[in-house]
Amino acid sequence: MKRIASLAGVFLVAASVLAGCQSAQEPPKEINLFAWSEYVPQGVIDGFTKETGIKVNYEAYASNEEMLAKLVSGAQKYDLIQPSEYTIEALIKENQLLPVDWSKVPNSKNIGSQFKNLPHDPEHKYSVPWMAGSVGIVVNSEKVTEEIDEYDDVFQEKYSGRIVVLDDPREIVSWALGSIGKGPNDVTPETLEQVKPILAKWLPLVKVYDSDSPKTALLNGDVDIGIVWSGEAAILYNENPKFKYVLPKEGAHQFVDSLAIPANAPNPEGAMAFMDYILRPEVSKLISADFPYTNPNVEAQKRLSPEEKNNPASYPPGDPKLEGFRDIGEQAVQIDKIVTDMKAEG
Amino acid sequence: MKAVNTSLAIWTAVVMVFFYLPIAILVGFSFNTSRLNILWEGFTLEWYASIWRDAVLVRALENSLIVAAISTLLSVVLGTTGAWMLYRYRVPAVRLWQTLVFIPMIIPEVIMGVSLLILFVVIQLELGFATIIISHITFCFPFVMVAIEARLAGLDASLEEAAMDLGATPAVAFRKVLVPYLMPAIVSGALMSFTLSLDELIVTYFTASAGTRTLPLEIFGRVKKGLDPTLNAISTVFILATVSVVLISELLKRRSR
Amino acid sequence: MRTGQTTIAAAASVRQRTPGVTAWLLMAPLFLWVLLFVVAPTLIMLVYSFCERGTLGGVVFKFTLANYAAVFDATYLRIVIRSILFAGLTTAVCLVMGYPVAYHIGRSSEKWRNILLMLVMIPFWTSFLIRTYAWMTILKSEGLLNSLLVQYGLITQPFEMLYTPGAVVLGLVYTFLPFMILPIYTSVEKLDNALVEAAFDLGAGPMRAFSKVIVPMTSPGITAGILLVFVPALGLYAVNDILGGGKVDMIGNIIENQFKGNARNWPFGAALGIALMAAFGIAFWFTGRRQATVQTS
Repeated sequence: MKRIASLAGVFLVAASVLAGCQSAQEPPKEINLFAWSEYVPQGVIDGFTKETGIKVNYEAYASNEEMLAKLVSGAQKYDLIQPSEYTIEALIKENQLLPVDWSKVPNSKNIGSQFKNLPHDPEHKYSVPWMAGSVGIVVNSEKVTEEIDEYDDVFQEKYSGRIVVLDDPREIVSWALGSIGKGPNDVTPETLEQVKPILAKWLPLVKVYDSDSPKTALLNGDVDIGIVWSGEAAILYNENPKFKYVLPKEGAHQFVDSLAIPANAPNPEGAMAFMDYILRPEVSKLISADFPYTNPNVEAQKRLSPEEKNNPASYPPGDPKLEGFRDIGEQAVQIDKIVTDMKAEG
Repeated sequence: MKAVNTSLAIWTAVVMVFFYLPIAILVGFSFNTSRLNILWEGFTLEWYASIWRDAVLVRALENSLIVAAISTLLSVVLGTTGAWMLYRYRVPAVRLWQTLVFIPMIIPEVIMGVSLLILFVVIQLELGFATIIISHITFCFPFVMVAIEARLAGLDASLEEAAMDLGATPAVAFRKVLVPYLMPAIVSGALMSFTLSLDELIVTYFTASAGTRTLPLEIFGRVKKGLDPTLNAISTVFILATVSVVLISELLKRRSR
Repeated sequence: MRTGQTTIAAAASVRQRTPGVTAWLLMAPLFLWVLLFVVAPTLIMLVYSFCERGTLGGVVFKFTLANYAAVFDATYLRIVIRSILFAGLTTAVCLVMGYPVAYHIGRSSEKWRNILLMLVMIPFWTSFLIRTYAWMTILKSEGLLNSLLVQYGLITQPFEMLYTPGAVVLGLVYTFLPFMILPIYTSVEKLDNALVEAAFDLGAGPMRAFSKVIVPMTSPGITAGILLVFVPALGLYAVNDILGGGKVDMIGNIIENQFKGNARNWPFGAALGIALMAAFGIAFWFTGRRQATVQTS
């Protein structure tokens, strides 16, 4: 009886060791990627799967907060998410991200130095920049002939009813802050009080609020000037070079969408393999070809076509003053309320 | 009488023009060379070819059809029996139930989506077809119930009782007498459910998984890059397919008579 | 209130029975569904509406009434009133446009009926976004409608249609018209032919026959149509965003922004949603109550 029991014990141990070995040999062959819609080209995903055998389940979202809602609900575990800079910061503050083991992502050497150690990830521990872009002024130069290079130039009485802006309270307030010489993150009750009269003057001039496709109103000729994502401006420029993109000299918002690994990721190894894969210059180039944002990968930038490099919305000339958004916590609620009130007044 | 009927027919035609005017634009733009769905440039068939290359889009359409078909079927069953039961039997707190059924219609989609997502986490139901279909039934069946209730109002009680007097069990009376009587409302409810389910975006976002993305999710994701005419092409193919199925089935019905 | 009277008369014509075991079993799916997928999620949101805002979205389970205090604010009241006006106008236009169509479909021969019904629905089996963008092509200043009007000399210069409240109502009517037509059709279809003809033959004139006989008899369908258009129209804001240029907010935007916008203020969004539901739940309850009281008296 005893012998049988000990034999069984040996078997159990052996079996569990074997099982252990097996699971060590075969890491889960898939990763759950939760990224912006249409931001990850199918070709890149297919290439990665072909090379590594890791299947990519690509789920998409349309805003950082939409992503957070599903992430914090815990309904699904993700290996990779693609938040923008202020969301990365919020996630780091709440210990929701795993640090990246850079030894497993050797291609991280390709990341341009100006995209490392940004304020949202100061020690460059948690995120791999995917694409960067800015929010600037786009002008239909056939209709608007004067020089436009400040926020105040846009919101002039003569352009009343010819303006499109992003439907995004934080963005709108950051422009008003810029116009009084403040940075986009100087958000305090006092500065918010200061921007109120400016917004009261600006918002009635706006014809269209659109965050999803502000290019439509410009292309249709229903408006002549706008403050939009650089990607939208790049598409407009490709469509017709009469659409000029200007970064306001007070400074503009630069967003950096990055890959990061949630703390509860089932397959961080696979996630890092994906990070390394997309940092290859030839792969990163494919992403640029699909989406006309600024590629933070210096090696990939070298391989872009002249047209891609010369699109002023993707690669603004000169040395513009750019700043990312920081996580501003509760102040976001105030910003939301102010813009809602102002719009309701009109 | 004749004049009235003619003017009604003319008015119906006018409303049909209103319905199909944007559809004509949609179909027209499916032949447009411009990638952006905004200005007309020239004629091409390229977008129809690109449907077959766009596996993601076709998969999303399949998912949408699966979800819409199952949700419609179950919503009709749930809504029809529900409406009939509340109508026919003395149910305690009937007004409360009717008001509760009304909630999914008034509740903002985002609240419904988030709260169902949290519910699914609590009851540990993995996101996928099941969760999408449950959510879709939840916002569809009230529409069926309202349509059925409207038809039940003014129902001649003798109809059902006569059938029962002839020896039919309640189940048979329901099937042989009531269902045919309710058929127009059932069809209306089914059409509304199918339409709502096929085009729902927000609740679906919160309850879908990576593998079960539906067409509206896919299309909304493409707005930023510009809604390319492949989307118009796939809509055109879908409309043509439905119209021909309807016409053929009507023709067959007529022939069989 | 004609609507009320007919419904009551109708309800009174059927003797309600006490449910037996089979009836309870048949009712069970509905009750379970409502409890699990309607009541339970609503309770979750009710709890959330009394919590504090979580930093990443979600809530912190600490009791507060602050969210409800914030709901009663002049701005939101104004937004709710505007949403009600838009939904009300949409419902009225849908009723006027849709009733004759529903009547026509309901009175046509059986072979035409199904085809017409399908024709009403098929446009809506395309994507909402693409349909709405198609409307932009029609309405924009250099668009189809303006160029036609200019060409035929009806106007001298493009008329501003897109990004106006009119465009929003047009988009809403377009979206919801089928939801008015279908339930009314359902009521019209069961009208007794002899009765309709008698009404016309009495020499009352088509208008009188219509208002005195046909409208009252189809009132359950009208009520259902109004419900199915007004309630969803109240919450839909995407039309306002695209065709109205998002210049004014609708109650739907405000609530959605609390979950999907920068503020990430779920508890406040939940409180707004619960307040909206409560207001309409009470209105719905009492309209039904009144009917029931009339019925028993």
